[in-house]
Amino acid sequence: MRPILLIALREFAENAKTKGFWIGLFLFPIIIFASIFVQELLEESTPTRNYVVVDQSGLFEEVIEDSMASMRRAELLRAIGEYQSEYAKDKPKLSDIDLEKVAAPDLMGETEAIEQATKSFGDELELLLGEQGLDAVLAQMKPLLVEDAPAFERPRPRFRRVALPEGIDASLPLTELAEELRPYLRGDRKVAGGEAVDGQVELFAAVLIPADIEQELESPGDAMAAMMAAGGQAEGAATERRGIQYWATNLADEDLKGRIDRAVTSEVHRKEYLARGMDAEQVADVRDIKVPLFSLNPNKSVGEEEVSMADKIRQWAPVGFVYLLWIAIFSISQMLLNNTIEEKSNRIIEVLLSSVTAGELMMGKLVGIACVGLVMITVWMGSLLTILKLSAGPEAEFPNMLLDVLQSGGLIPAFIIYFFLGYLLYSGLFLAIGSVCNTLKEAQNLMGPVMLIMMVPIITMMFIPKDPNGTLARILSWIPLYTPFTMMNRASADPPMVDVVGTLILLVAFTAFTLWAVGRIFRRGILRTGQPPKIRELFTWLRAE
Amino acid sequence: MSDSVLELQNVCKTYGDFTAVDDVSFTIPAGMVYGFLGPNGAGKTTTIRMILEIIKPTKGSISVFGKPSALAVRERIGYLPEEKGLYKKMRAWSIIAYFATLKGMDRKAAKRRAYELLERYGLKDFADAKTEALSKGMGQKVQVLASIAHDPELIILDEPFSGLDPVNQEVMEEVIRDLKERGRTVLFSTHVMSHAERICDRILLIAGGKKVLDDTIDGARKTIPRRVRVASADPLDFLAELDAVVGLVPAETIVAIGSEKLLTFDAQLSDKGEPIDVVKACLERGVHLERFDYSPPSLHEVFVELVGDKAKEASFR
Repeated sequence: MRPILLIALREFAENAKTKGFWIGLFLFPIIIFASIFVQELLEESTPTRNYVVVDQSGLFEEVIEDSMASMRRAELLRAIGEYQSEYAKDKPKLSDIDLEKVAAPDLMGETEAIEQATKSFGDELELLLGEQGLDAVLAQMKPLLVEDAPAFERPRPRFRRVALPEGIDASLPLTELAEELRPYLRGDRKVAGGEAVDGQVELFAAVLIPADIEQELESPGDAMAAMMAAGGQAEGAATERRGIQYWATNLADEDLKGRIDRAVTSEVHRKEYLARGMDAEQVADVRDIKVPLFSLNPNKSVGEEEVSMADKIRQWAPVGFVYLLWIAIFSISQMLLNNTIEEKSNRIIEVLLSSVTAGELMMGKLVGIACVGLVMITVWMGSLLTILKLSAGPEAEFPNMLLDVLQSGGLIPAFIIYFFLGYLLYSGLFLAIGSVCNTLKEAQNLMGPVMLIMMVPIITMMFIPKDPNGTLARILSWIPLYTPFTMMNRASADPPMVDVVGTLILLVAFTAFTLWAVGRIFRRGILRTGQPPKIRELFTWLRAE
Repeated sequence: MSDSVLELQNVCKTYGDFTAVDDVSFTIPAGMVYGFLGPNGAGKTTTIRMILEIIKPTKGSISVFGKPSALAVRERIGYLPEEKGLYKKMRAWSIIAYFATLKGMDRKAAKRRAYELLERYGLKDFADAKTEALSKGMGQKVQVLASIAHDPELIILDEPFSGLDPVNQEVMEEVIRDLKERGRTVLFSTHVMSHAERICDRILLIAGGKKVLDDTIDGARKTIPRRVRVASADPLDFLAELDAVVGLVPAETIVAIGSEKLLTFDAQLSDKGEPIDVVKACLERGVHLERFDYSPPSLHEVFVELVGDKAKEASFR
């Protein structure tokens, strides 16, 4: 027993001293921290996007303006709401919020949701959120806020319309206009406007609407007819770009494009209704009618079947754990491999084996590195919970819910169990590889197949939550090499008991067998020099006394 | 003789068709310094590994301190392997202390002992250095110290002199002599005969996996005939008929003095024959001897004589 402890102690001490260990230890909390706050940061740091609109048809300028104004109102409302809840005197505590009751939100963003809800109060809001109106609102809010609340600052608008740069004639044909605007859109030249010190800002996008836009309107029937008529020349026609042109170098941020598209389309629709003798108001009303639809889960008790936000997180949080599990197991098994190779290539192994048995050496290494892993995941879990607790609050829904799910879902115990079993299994494989190779290079050749095997859980981890008790998930669960990852993936989806217990028993048995086999390979491989043994040779080692 | 520390009986080790060690038996009594000699590939390292139970013999039995397993008495054995290596990131003292604790020493005592040894053998300033910062020779010294830190009764050193400069070779000899003075038993393998000649009580010579010789240094010298080298302008053929001489071989060296050519012969002495007998015979016949050499055979000569062919064979294999 003593030699095992001594070896374990040394392995632990030596690995805990490496830079890699400390980097790994702190990198994870930093990533968690960043992923929670980076979104806020991004939102704050995204500059106001400036765009120009040239509407030669004169039909849509106004509706675009209206739509942008409506968005701006929603932005302001949201900022005021956040301001109020952040500095409210009696902030609701996390424990007061019952996440099980919070319905899962639609995929719509928060600002859009506010906009939808306040759609019919456009004019009133315009007044309320104007310079004077806002002051009045804030004055009313004041008594409800804590004493040292800072003054409210209007958030920067996301989009701002600027005038066409001087010297460009708005009535030019669109192709020429676009040519004139090109240097501005590319960032080579700046346009006047905005709050920049020199009054010069970058142009983010240009929206060009041709005068004859009404002739270009398409409907599915037209398109078919046009195709029939044009025959093979349909493709050539498409390249002519006869419609609204949206010019921008940034392809990722499509919010502006989508918004303009929606505004213009709904205006076209409105006119079309009128033309066909329909009441546009009524059509709009009709379109706003919604059928209530609830997601229900038969596994939950009566009265609580509605799929809540917590359920959503419960479905997806295990993915994070699978990833964590994978990283933890992989990185510490790698340590084991490196150490074994070092001992082998330096021939320290001989001195060790004159002092301890190969079995003691193996056990000592496994235990020592397991302790390294334990410290690592303890720090990770601890920092995850701490960061979530610190950043939790009524205004930070996501951390709240994640925290709640982690504390109630049984994910952490599952993580710890699967970590240990998975570690023993994979470190056993790595140890066997380490013991038959003389150099890291040789080991890396053998690592190839193991890496491929290990990639599977990473690939499947995003699919499994969608059908956690489906055929794929169940099959993978019963393959011991994948049991830890797949079962972790399914942990919060109430997998059938036979899967939970059965795969666990299989995993334990398989791990025990692997360690036994590795012990035999280790004993013989560790002293071997020269070529790594052939697979057939390994089998004879297993059978030999 | 006191109790034997190590006993090998008919030990064999085969790898497939290749026989590394072939029926080797020997006994090492306590307190002896034993030189383990043999050409490259003779099976020295394999034998040592079997003694330490790192590998198992195919046949035969090994007993260390009367026990069939070296691991049962591991705290009484110290071992320096042939290929030297240390954990690169560990400090000199901690590596010595680590190996000592693995041999059952208390952690604090091991640390104290590590510093003590490093100081005694001139590595005091490097005690806290990482071993990757040490030179090869220093690293090897650290490793030797690590193998003796727990004060073992039997110390097995595989090629302890290789890679050391002459000064450090002397330090190594000193280490072995210190061990001997304290009554420890040492078995070390080497190619350098002069070390063996200076510090061994007995030598064990193996070649091709077989034991060739197991004797004291003097005994070893006696295994090859003594000879005298004589040179004269007169004929020396009569020497062959003497009782003291068993053979007369013309030596290759021909020395010329003035116009005369001298004939040189090696006269191999019989068991009872003495060098003086040759001189006497020459005087009686009035032969004028230009040269007369007599020196007991060196271990080097013994080595070359006994295993020279096998060593050459091995080097071309």
